[in-house]
Amino acid sequence: MGELVIGIDLGTTNSVCATVRGGTPTVIPNRSGYRITPSVVAMARNGKRLVGALARRQAVTNAERTVVAVKRLMGRRWSTKTTQETLQRMPYSVVKGPHDDVRIALGEQEYSPPEISAMVLTELRLDAEAFFGAPVSKAVITCPAYFNDAQRNATKDAGRIAGLEVIRIINEPTSAALAFGFGKAQAERQIAVFDLGGGTFDFTVLHMFKGVFEVEATGGDSLLGGEDFDSRIIDSLAGPFQQKHGVDLRKDKMALQRLRDAAEKAKCELSLVKQVEINLPFISSTPQTGPLHLQSTLTRDQLEQMTGDLVQRCMKVCEQVMGEAKVLPAQLGDVLLVGGQTRMPKIQDEVRRLFGKEPAKTVNPDEAVALGAAIQGAMLLHDEQEMLLLDVTPHSLGIAIAGGFFQKIIEKNTTVPTSAHHVFTTVKDDQTSAKITVLQGESEVAGDNELLGEFMLTGLRAAPRGQVDIDVIFDISADGIVSVSALDVQTGTRQSITVTASSGLTEDEIKKAARSNEDWMLGQKEDPDFQDRKARAEEIIREFEALWPRLTRAAQNGLGQEPLQRAQAALSVARLQLAQRESEALAASIDRLERMLQALKGALERGKGAP
Amino acid sequence: MVAAPKPGGDIDLPADMQRELDELETKGHRLTHYQLLSVTPDADGATVRRAYLEASKRFHPDAWYRKDLGHYGPLLSKWFQRLTGAYQLLSNEESRAQYDRDHRGELSQSERAAMERRQLSMQEEERRARERRERMLRTKGFARIGAARKLYEEAVEHAQNGERMQAIFALTAARELDPNRKEISAKLTELEREQARARARSALSSAQEREEKKLFAEAVTVYAVAFQNDPTSHPAAVGAARCAMQISDKRAATTWAMRAVDLSPDDLAARMMLARLLAEAGLKSRARTELTQLLNRSPDHKEAKQLLRTL
Repeated sequence: MGELVIGIDLGTTNSVCATVRGGTPTVIPNRSGYRITPSVVAMARNGKRLVGALARRQAVTNAERTVVAVKRLMGRRWSTKTTQETLQRMPYSVVKGPHDDVRIALGEQEYSPPEISAMVLTELRLDAEAFFGAPVSKAVITCPAYFNDAQRNATKDAGRIAGLEVIRIINEPTSAALAFGFGKAQAERQIAVFDLGGGTFDFTVLHMFKGVFEVEATGGDSLLGGEDFDSRIIDSLAGPFQQKHGVDLRKDKMALQRLRDAAEKAKCELSLVKQVEINLPFISSTPQTGPLHLQSTLTRDQLEQMTGDLVQRCMKVCEQVMGEAKVLPAQLGDVLLVGGQTRMPKIQDEVRRLFGKEPAKTVNPDEAVALGAAIQGAMLLHDEQEMLLLDVTPHSLGIAIAGGFFQKIIEKNTTVPTSAHHVFTTVKDDQTSAKITVLQGESEVAGDNELLGEFMLTGLRAAPRGQVDIDVIFDISADGIVSVSALDVQTGTRQSITVTASSGLTEDEIKKAARSNEDWMLGQKEDPDFQDRKARAEEIIREFEALWPRLTRAAQNGLGQEPLQRAQAALSVARLQLAQRESEALAASIDRLERMLQALKGALERGKGAP
Repeated sequence: MVAAPKPGGDIDLPADMQRELDELETKGHRLTHYQLLSVTPDADGATVRRAYLEASKRFHPDAWYRKDLGHYGPLLSKWFQRLTGAYQLLSNEESRAQYDRDHRGELSQSERAAMERRQLSMQEEERRARERRERMLRTKGFARIGAARKLYEEAVEHAQNGERMQAIFALTAARELDPNRKEISAKLTELEREQARARARSALSSAQEREEKKLFAEAVTVYAVAFQNDPTSHPAAVGAARCAMQISDKRAATTWAMRAVDLSPDDLAARMMLARLLAEAGLKSRARTELTQLLNRSPDHKEAKQLLRTL
């Protein structure tokens, strides 16, 4: 038995945690018993941190202090157009951070996206610790294949803040392929993974042979996902509403949250039925008209029509990646569908059409990614796993050269670890220093690519231009970490940096956040009495439930509705306290409920005597 | 736990791996790509790939994740990359053919025989493919569309196996059968462009080799071939200009230097060379234009200032 290691699918809308136990990949259910935890974080009005289903449930009434889809902001710079466009749709308030990054304002505090993600990760870590009954400190976390270095580092930082040692960041589609190939790895075949999650789309072609998974090509769109489908539905509802009533629901944060929930629900239902009703009473009001209600129907055809271009964008990416992998659809042994959005019948139809085959049904689109991450963790740390993953760099890497152009040094889809070098020369006489700008991307124009870092090579020998050769060497480790060194060929002067694209947080900030998260976790440590109180509370709740039919009858026969309503309220408070593990408050609730139970039982006894 | 014999002290890598890496360090540099991957020179693409994937199970750093590898760590990474390089080169039919030509001398008798066997069988296959294409080109009516699709699919398969020439032949035939299908012509253009670039790359490196050996006249010709195949190749233009200077072919040097400057206006060395050539040819005003351009970019350029003064 090796060290404990977990695999985490840190999704845009939902997250899943898994591990390999007794040689079998298994999903770790959260402490409420669910296999999926919404990637939602909220600050309740009492300043309490809520994560997962609890946060999601209160999103409508607390939209401004509920953070959803924070993955879309990971590793992004404030001043880019994509960031600004993403922010348009966020119900919570986002401000500019100190390093041109984004910060989310929650109450008095501002949090970076990695800190918010760390809250989700901490929750999953606590779930895993409850599952194992032992501390867990190592994790493999997945990210979209198309994430750039900054986004990957942000993900890694989130792990560190959550107190997890991230032993590897792996690509979601690759991870899903590992889960699919687990146990049938001896066969040789070529597979493709079509991964349309909440926020991103990835497409990857892999080759499997005797336990080795070789990624041949990967590509995607980091701003195309299920949420864009939801947005189309929101627009189709809010647009006509605005025309009719002159109110833009998208500007009202609470209404927007309700619209978002309704849109997502409608979308999911339309995967099963042809038509749904959308009913949102009291969605808004104006002084002239009084309360306004939104009532509408949406058919599957309409949904397909308004999202047709999104589906086509996915198919374009598939064709391009297959071109890069030099593979024909017919040569693929299997096509895996991953991510909740692939449940949409239209997408399955298009996949069937493009690849000429039924998508593989053996993987669970919600769980495969986390299971694969757990497998990768076991592959790395436990010797018994005879499997290996050969992954590639998703983006080309290079440097800026004279004229504002981009010189690629490592092409995308190169197997890692890899290294490459390129000789440059000085452009001025007696130039003693050279600035090296490291970029990631595919554009020929340097400025269009993602900046990874810059460093100065100083102490060059004074010589006429063109006489000093500088050898720039790039290394990408199996971890995907880029390091660059530059060597003055004649003098042997060497300088190197590890390019850590900024995730938006400095080292100090990460350490500080990790400490405060640790403090929070200590505060969460269970009151020794909690288990007893929990058992007692659950007992009382069951007793109430058993008594309920008699109580409702008694209510109609003179007892009145009021005591029942009070009991109902107290019960839901207790349930919430149970879920949030609030030991002290639960003790008070138990007292109150016990008194109520006695009183109600007494009333029923008395009622029995009467005719 | 049973402690395996560890000749390298506390290094947590099996003894046979240590031995293998030590051997590679001393002799590996002399191995051909085929020997490195433990395949024979007549191995087909799939065999090469399998050999690489098997080897990567032992040489990929992840196979020894978090093990104390001592000085073997960097070696492992280095030889994994060598294997990857060999695999990539051999999985492309064109680069493989070039490699075979360049490394014939290093192969043993039997290996050379294996390579020749493969070449013969490939020629035979090519001949059969050609005959089949010719037969298909004679199809009539609607069947032509189907035949074109078949050829297109074959072409993609060829391209996947790195057999670019085969792919281009198949696509050319497919286009003749079905001129209206866009993906056929698109794929053809793409492959032809790739082919030109590959040719340019290989010409460029062989020109550079000739330049190093001071075979300047030959180098000019080969640089020119590189430029023909890739008219955006600045290194080809500069190289040709440099070598033409060496053999005192001033006219050729001027033309190449002009191309180099057009392609990369910031290459001051090329511009300086051009200005000098123009001045020597008596084209003073054009030389002055170049020098002013140069000084705009680098105001302290001594050589340029000096030349400008003499003009």
